[in-house]
Amino acid sequence: MTKQTAFMIAAAVCVTVATTLAQSPARDQLARGTALWDQRLAKSAIAALEAAARERSTAAEAHEALGRLYTFKGWQQDNVFPGWHDEPSVRERALAELTAAVAADPARASAQEALRTAEGFAAADKVDPAPPRPEIRALDAKLQATSNPAAIVAAVEARAKAQADPAPFFAGAQILIDRGEYDRAIALAERGAAASDRFIDENLSAYQMTGKSQGSYARGHAAAADLVGWAQFLKKDYATAAAKLGEAERLSQGQDFVNQFHLGELARAQSVPARARDHYLDALSLSGGPAPLRQRATAALAGLQADSGNTTGFDAWLEAELTRRRDDRKASALKSLVDRPLPALNLTTVDGKPYDASGLRGKVLLLNFFASW
Amino acid sequence: MPHLKASYAKYQNDSGVAFLLVSIDEDDKRLQRYLGEMKFPFPVARLQAEQAETVMGFDNVPATFYVDAGGVVRYYLNGSESHGDSPTRVSWFIDQVKQLRK
Repeated sequence: MTKQTAFMIAAAVCVTVATTLAQSPARDQLARGTALWDQRLAKSAIAALEAAARERSTAAEAHEALGRLYTFKGWQQDNVFPGWHDEPSVRERALAELTAAVAADPARASAQEALRTAEGFAAADKVDPAPPRPEIRALDAKLQATSNPAAIVAAVEARAKAQADPAPFFAGAQILIDRGEYDRAIALAERGAAASDRFIDENLSAYQMTGKSQGSYARGHAAAADLVGWAQFLKKDYATAAAKLGEAERLSQGQDFVNQFHLGELARAQSVPARARDHYLDALSLSGGPAPLRQRATAALAGLQADSGNTTGFDAWLEAELTRRRDDRKASALKSLVDRPLPALNLTTVDGKPYDASGLRGKVLLLNFFASW
Repeated sequence: MPHLKASYAKYQNDSGVAFLLVSIDEDDKRLQRYLGEMKFPFPVARLQAEQAETVMGFDNVPATFYVDAGGVVRYYLNGSESHGDSPTRVSWFIDQVKQLRK
């Protein structure tokens, strides 16, 4: 068989497969739903799989896929992505979907196995979160090892296609900035912000509290704005840099080390030493940030102090400034609800019986709301 | 949470002060396991996360309220302290609130 014949046969097979798929909307939905869940786009995956589950020809496969998805959500997603927690409310659903899969096709071994796994989770005292998937780790590693700018973008896209969280866009943008490829970095960072929004929208129920999902939206946009601002700074477009770094500062509420460091560098480049000093001090008063950047911030501050004639006592001055900033931050985190009575709460005991709070009356009360996650 | 246990040591014989933890956990087993590990010396109650959020007006945990003897909220702290929670700070709030009703 010649190469050309082989190609034609292959092409004919492709056409046949494509025609078959086009003829079966349920099978299309199943394929779509499975692919979406591989990307961890839960909401759209569920919609497609539910459509496929209604059709007899795809019911067993679709119920199994839904069952596996809900098994993950119910027992295995704790901190798999930042801010995610298990959703106990979908556990019954996981068992029901897998039971339906086995009922639709009793010979389906993978569905039986998935059902046994979920039943095991339901009976277990503790279920560990799902480990990172090897194929995603491999794509992340490949991205980190890539140096050619066009190949970096391709590696980001391959990773983003495999799993839809925004991390590869931000990692790729940083690598491109380090290589001096500012425009490509800006484009990737902006796509990262959009990817972040979509990823959170698709997985809202995983966050449990609005503070966590809102915080995640803000973090995605802050990461993008800081990367764009820093790339613009390195391009010496200080006006755009100021706008984007300032946006990142508002989104991170001034609590991000790297962003404060970047704002310090910008202010120093613009010859506004007082503002530069404040940003470097704000940065150093926050925890986190890579050690080399912390050293650069400290060295920049020492330089600014020397320039303004303060040549002695730098260490003591720095320590006093950092302590003052940390104390100010603690004070502003306090939001007093002075003069508002404690609202009535439908508390229960740990066993689910009504909680009798009468013993607390007339006492000073420390009331702490917590979750074990 | 260990800082609350340490803080409580100072007030366990003080009839004018009470500690109450409220779990917003949905997962029974996980909560039971956690309580088994922590062995809190003060009561623990439960509340649905949604109600905690709408009635108490916080959107993340931990959330700590210091309430005076007349049932009025005096201080509210959302989240953990960025440099670590300390029993000294808990005592400071309790002692402030105690003074309010003297």
